[in-house]
Amino acid sequence: MQRYAYLKAIADDTGNALAVCTGWSAREWWAVRPSDGNLKTRTLGLVSSIAAGLAFALPHRKVIAIDGDGAFLMNLCGLPTIALQRPPNLIHLLFDNEVYEASGGTATASHIADAVSLAKGAGYPHACWVSTAEEFRAEFLQAWQSDRLSLIAVKVEPGQPKDLPPLALDELENKYTFMRYLERTEKKGILSPGFDSKS
Amino acid sequence: MDNMDAKQSALAIVAGLKKAGIDFVATLPDEKMLEVIRTVEKDSGLRHIPLCREEEGVGICAGAYLAGRKTALILQNAGFLNSCNAVTTTSLQFQIPTLLLIYFAGDIGDRGFTTLGAVTEPVLQALGIRSYVLRKTEEIDEILVGAQILAEDSKRPVAVLLTKSLLGVK
Repeated sequence: MQRYAYLKAIADDTGNALAVCTGWSAREWWAVRPSDGNLKTRTLGLVSSIAAGLAFALPHRKVIAIDGDGAFLMNLCGLPTIALQRPPNLIHLLFDNEVYEASGGTATASHIADAVSLAKGAGYPHACWVSTAEEFRAEFLQAWQSDRLSLIAVKVEPGQPKDLPPLALDELENKYTFMRYLERTEKKGILSPGFDSKS
Repeated sequence: MDNMDAKQSALAIVAGLKKAGIDFVATLPDEKMLEVIRTVEKDSGLRHIPLCREEEGVGICAGAYLAGRKTALILQNAGFLNSCNAVTTTSLQFQIPTLLLIYFAGDIGDRGFTTLGAVTEPVLQALGIRSYVLRKTEEIDEILVGAQILAEDSKRPVAVLLTKSLLGVK
């Protein structure tokens, strides 16, 4: 099964959660849950750290990191940093297709490096493998309800449905849309009003 | 290390950060900045995130900024070099202001880090990150407050290089 089927299984359960994506998953996530609360990252590896920064800053808000094995392995140092803070509102999803999918498809080391062991070893209070969409959804709901930092990992086949709409997304536009959405939903000013607003 | 000069400097630097509006600080230790990091840790007005590697701090600060926090990253110049890709493809590409407080190893009078000292300012310059060397305690408030205004206004990181003399360490 591909990542898309798992993302689809939880899309309706994510409410107003913020979601941070990396690589090809973004196109899939936007298709199953279009929202101004979606953010696509650029730097390989940083998806979990950016999601963690959001989770630290907004402890009352659920934040979902949609990670891949290449990015996950690149940012192993980020795991103990996150575990040390134990953000209860962060749900870390890992889609492990064992290749650098967005970078041409060469193999990662994830066929020998066990992500759940790595997360647990780094101090995550909960990390597990699932193998069906039902288990994935059940674990997701459990992570959401239990308010416990969780990594939910699943092995997936590379690739995505061919008929997904292309992601028309300028990254600065994505940033501003995301920040304005947070201003609206958190009812606070975030962006500086700017020089022209001075009285 | 129990050094009164270092403690005084650390208190002044952290007070300057707060005057600049900073409320969220990610750090990776350097021996020279021990007191600064201890002071950050003790300050209830600052959320402190200790890091394992600097580039993840760039991501954490970016996420916190998007949610309305004013962020600083405290690191050594070696750690800044570690984080250059994250600074480029997250902070600069997404226009994220982050105050970078960088211990200037290999600065004039320092031993052992001459290569690091030599490349620090040219790398900052190549990235288009404006930087200010902070040597004197009496300039702390002006430079930290000013650097944060510049970071927010330009929506880019701004670097402040902290020297041994400022930090009150040998």
